[in-house]
Amino acid sequence: MRPLSRFKSLYGAGPLHLLALLASFAIAAAAVVGWFQRPRDVVSVLIWFAAAIVLHDAVLLPLYSLLDRIAFGRVGRRAGRGRELSHLVNPTPYIRIPVVLSGLLFAVFFPVILGLGTQTELSATGIPESGYLARWLLASGVMFAVAGVSYAAAVARARPPAGSAAPASPVTTATPPASPAPTTPSAPTMPSAPATPPAPATPPAPATPPAPATAPAPATPPAPATPPAPG
Amino acid sequence: MRLPVVDLTRTPRGPFRPDFWRSPLRGPWLTALLGLVLMIGTPIVVVTGLISNAAYQPLLAGNSIGTNLSPLDLYVFTWPTRPVWLYALTEGLHVTIGLALFPVLLVKLWSVFPRLFEWPPVRSPAHALERLSVALLVGSALFEFVSGIVVMQFYYPFPFFFTAAHYYGAWVFIAAFGAHVLLKFGTMRRGLRTRGDVMEAAGASPGPTSLAAVSPGPVTMSRRVLLGTVGAGSLLLLLQGAGGSIGGPFRFLSFFGPHGYTGSGPLDFPVTETAAAAQITPASVGAAWRLDVVGTRSLQFSREQLLAMPQHTYDLPIACTEGWSTTQRWTGVRLRDLAALAGVNESATVTSSTVQTDLNGGYVVTLGSEQVADELSLLALRVNGVDLSLDHGYPARVISPAVPGTHCHKWVSKLAFSPVLT
Repeated sequence: MRPLSRFKSLYGAGPLHLLALLASFAIAAAAVVGWFQRPRDVVSVLIWFAAAIVLHDAVLLPLYSLLDRIAFGRVGRRAGRGRELSHLVNPTPYIRIPVVLSGLLFAVFFPVILGLGTQTELSATGIPESGYLARWLLASGVMFAVAGVSYAAAVARARPPAGSAAPASPVTTATPPASPAPTTPSAPTMPSAPATPPAPATPPAPATPPAPATAPAPATPPAPATPPAPG
Repeated sequence: MRLPVVDLTRTPRGPFRPDFWRSPLRGPWLTALLGLVLMIGTPIVVVTGLISNAAYQPLLAGNSIGTNLSPLDLYVFTWPTRPVWLYALTEGLHVTIGLALFPVLLVKLWSVFPRLFEWPPVRSPAHALERLSVALLVGSALFEFVSGIVVMQFYYPFPFFFTAAHYYGAWVFIAAFGAHVLLKFGTMRRGLRTRGDVMEAAGASPGPTSLAAVSPGPVTMSRRVLLGTVGAGSLLLLLQGAGGSIGGPFRFLSFFGPHGYTGSGPLDFPVTETAAAAQITPASVGAAWRLDVVGTRSLQFSREQLLAMPQHTYDLPIACTEGWSTTQRWTGVRLRDLAALAGVNESATVTSSTVQTDLNGGYVVTLGSEQVADELSLLALRVNGVDLSLDHGYPARVISPAVPGTHCHKWVSKLAFSPVLT
């Protein structure tokens, strides 16, 4: 074997890969040496470093996914089976977006919202800061209200005009619930039939073929029981 | 004693199975797009952070963030005095862009979350090293963002010294981020070309190495809506940072920023340390207060004597580490005039100490020769046409262009000019 291909088969990638990572580790090690300028701080810095990973990967993200699955599981399952939704417009984004944005504001500003820095700030600046909990609730309330109004408007628009049998279009554009962002694209409505079939490449677990849009909706569907996406 | 044997050829149940991950939103295009945003955005945060740190002139006496400088304390330029809003800009960008990127980081991590559970956990030495590097990347990114965000809000939940931890943590991030960009740039470019809900939803080669779900759940929210939500979150946070940095009439945008400064009088602008917090006693700044000026000779001035000297008035911003800044009209004596009186006419640095330093061991600060030589650098006695208040540094404070607020000492008791040896 030529030296290069032997290296690749042993290491699993080219030499540049190794060099880049070694250079990176060397710089990171120099940074850790920097932490050692305050030896008493090193342990707590490393603990916070590791805790950040654990808290995010093992607690917060799984918790979010679980809550999302609980909240929107039914909607997703019904849509997955191609069953008629009792509503014309998919409500999921109208709930998920304000919840996520409100949660984001809390995740970022929990120290002021809960007043955790108030004492430090008061003694430092002499300014008694308060009322951030109310501000956060107000901001959340506005976002939920905007989402609610947008949802109502989307439903009104999706409702078939009197006399016509079906909605004019299975996908209507609705006002985005997240009004602060002019960039927010419109939320699509949920088609009552699965216009975008999930994964035609890999049929769901049961051998029964997944009901395509044309299949008669069985009373007892093959129930792929796909849990919804942990949004 | 026998160690439990793990059969690496058999994939455990749960998240280690590729079909556990259902979200149809995940995929190479989404991850590549978020990666592109972070690849462009985080260097702005890093560079403005490093520049803002350089503004503290850590090489000068008393300014160093650590007790010793490490090889990573590279300072390739002396801190300039123009433009006067330079530090306000770099620190404002650091805080504001950092806030705006936080949601992007969170969604990026969510988009690659299944990778944490890939099986077998290690395929080759290369794979092992790369995963270690990713652990450093994720850890340092979360550490840097979270520590910066809580400190902005005066919340110090950790026992370590923030400045040094944040600075060297940034170097861990820079190292891991650089390697990640280098190793993943091609993947990102390919991912950007897969463009689209259609291809991935149609199952374009989802496999163990693809980020797309092998058996995605139903689409309950489009990828566009997801990106729009990220954009909205970024914009919300951007406004929080920008409102405080730009200040003035824009401060109302900062919904979660400081709001206590409601007055409109000449002294109603923020401080980060009150006289009470600094334990300044009225007696220490009363009629007995004197300013020591040390050069080749030592002089003492009362406040009246300083007021009798030529006064200069300039509009200068004062900018804080927390990201806010405010421009006020300062009146006082030029630092270089005081240097000349002390017999120092050549290029010199100035080390200031304060009443607080004398009382209870507050810190000393050194400004560089460029700051001393600049005509805009003042020992201010008045602001906006009135005497300084105690919280704003009465009897006298330093104000110098483009210098961080904490280096503009209040309650100054001594200015020591040291000629720069060239």
